[in-house]
Amino acid sequence: MNNIIANILRFTILLAAQVAVCQHVCLFGYMKPALFLLALFLLPMELPLSLQYLIGFLSGFAVDAFAHTFGVSSFACTLMMFLRPYVAHMLNGSNNAKFENIDRPVPGPKDFRWVSLYTLILSAIYQITAVMLETMSFRNFGHTLLVILGNTLFTVFVILCIEYIFHSRTKNEA
Amino acid sequence: MNDLIEFFKRAFHIIVLAVLLILSVVMLGKSLSFNDYRLSRAVQSIVGPIQKSGAGMMHRLRLGPENEALVQQNIQLLREHENMFIEKTDTTLTEMSRPDSLNTTRVRLYDYTYAHVIFKTTDRAFNYMIVDKGANDGIARDMAVLSPNGVAGVVTDVSSNFATVRPILHPETRISAVVTPANQNGTVIWEGNDPRVAYLESIPQHSEINIGDSVFTNGFSNIFPKGLFIGTVKEVKVGNNASFLTIKINLATKYTDLYTVYLVENLFKPEIDSLKANFKDE
Repeated sequence: MNNIIANILRFTILLAAQVAVCQHVCLFGYMKPALFLLALFLLPMELPLSLQYLIGFLSGFAVDAFAHTFGVSSFACTLMMFLRPYVAHMLNGSNNAKFENIDRPVPGPKDFRWVSLYTLILSAIYQITAVMLETMSFRNFGHTLLVILGNTLFTVFVILCIEYIFHSRTKNEA
Repeated sequence: MNDLIEFFKRAFHIIVLAVLLILSVVMLGKSLSFNDYRLSRAVQSIVGPIQKSGAGMMHRLRLGPENEALVQQNIQLLREHENMFIEKTDTTLTEMSRPDSLNTTRVRLYDYTYAHVIFKTTDRAFNYMIVDKGANDGIARDMAVLSPNGVAGVVTDVSSNFATVRPILHPETRISAVVTPANQNGTVIWEGNDPRVAYLESIPQHSEINIGDSVFTNGFSNIFPKGLFIGTVKEVKVGNNASFLTIKINLATKYTDLYTVYLVENLFKPEIDSLKANFKDE
């Protein structure tokens, strides 16, 4: 129950920060961090998959609604939520097909390498999908790639900073 | 049948995934076709108010630069007002005798600039203000000082980067004024402690002055251009001196929250002053 409230609160804060601040940040004219992905990354793996997809879709839709890019974030988030268990599984390095055994994807139980790779891969999936859908063309592909790369690195940097600032060692190990 | 239910149970999340992805693609398609705004409109009715309050908050942070730009624009507009010019008519005979074909040239008499008040007093018997522009910025003595609402004062002293302004709220300030619609000329003075109220003197007793009448500068002083707003009549009394009325006026300038002021320079002031000096000598 406590966990649910924490997750809802996290979603609200991160989505508000996303639409109020991050969407207006344009570092070097094109780099926008997708901060709200952090809320999706930290979603418990035990949740029913269909619910995870739905949460992903709805948070994507919320971002879309403020940016007037209908379908872009929704699609990218849903796709990312679909691939999330596989990525976590791959990083765990086990052949076990049951997703329920995966530990919480947070800095406490996982080391820095695991968390950063997890963040990097999922951010890259989201950004590639979102930027490609938004651009909808292969013209000026070099710039599209640059945007994807810039956005991904910026997102990873911001999310890792926030994760490690709010991560308290004692709480997670207890 | 059981197999089918079992299949749905196992494949349920795949179905949800497919539905959501298809929904996204449909939305994407809708937003790409330019003549279907239904979704956008529906969402905007919810999101719009939030975005509006957010934009308002951001706007408040950028008020400073925007104000500067508006002040610049105001000055451009004020400079084109007709009381900035005098009309010189070539009186030599022209081929056509129609009045509008006379050679009329507009000569600029007044010019504007602006400054910000950095220090001011309003509660003393002798009030003054200091503005952040001085001789280096072309400010000189006896330039008129205007607030966005009306007349504010006169420059009395100038250093290289700052200037002292004597507002109406000073016993020595005298501004020639005209009260409309009676069209009587008088002088605005200030006595007492109220920064909102001044007096209009030497209006003959026979003139019909009503409460709410407007008081403007009449341009006699060569400091203030003609027709600048000073205030409105608040109270009319028959004074002790039987021939004049005592008129209280509400000042248009809000001295308590004055920040941006406009300064007016009379470009022909030296010439006019030299004529006045000759007049005294005789």
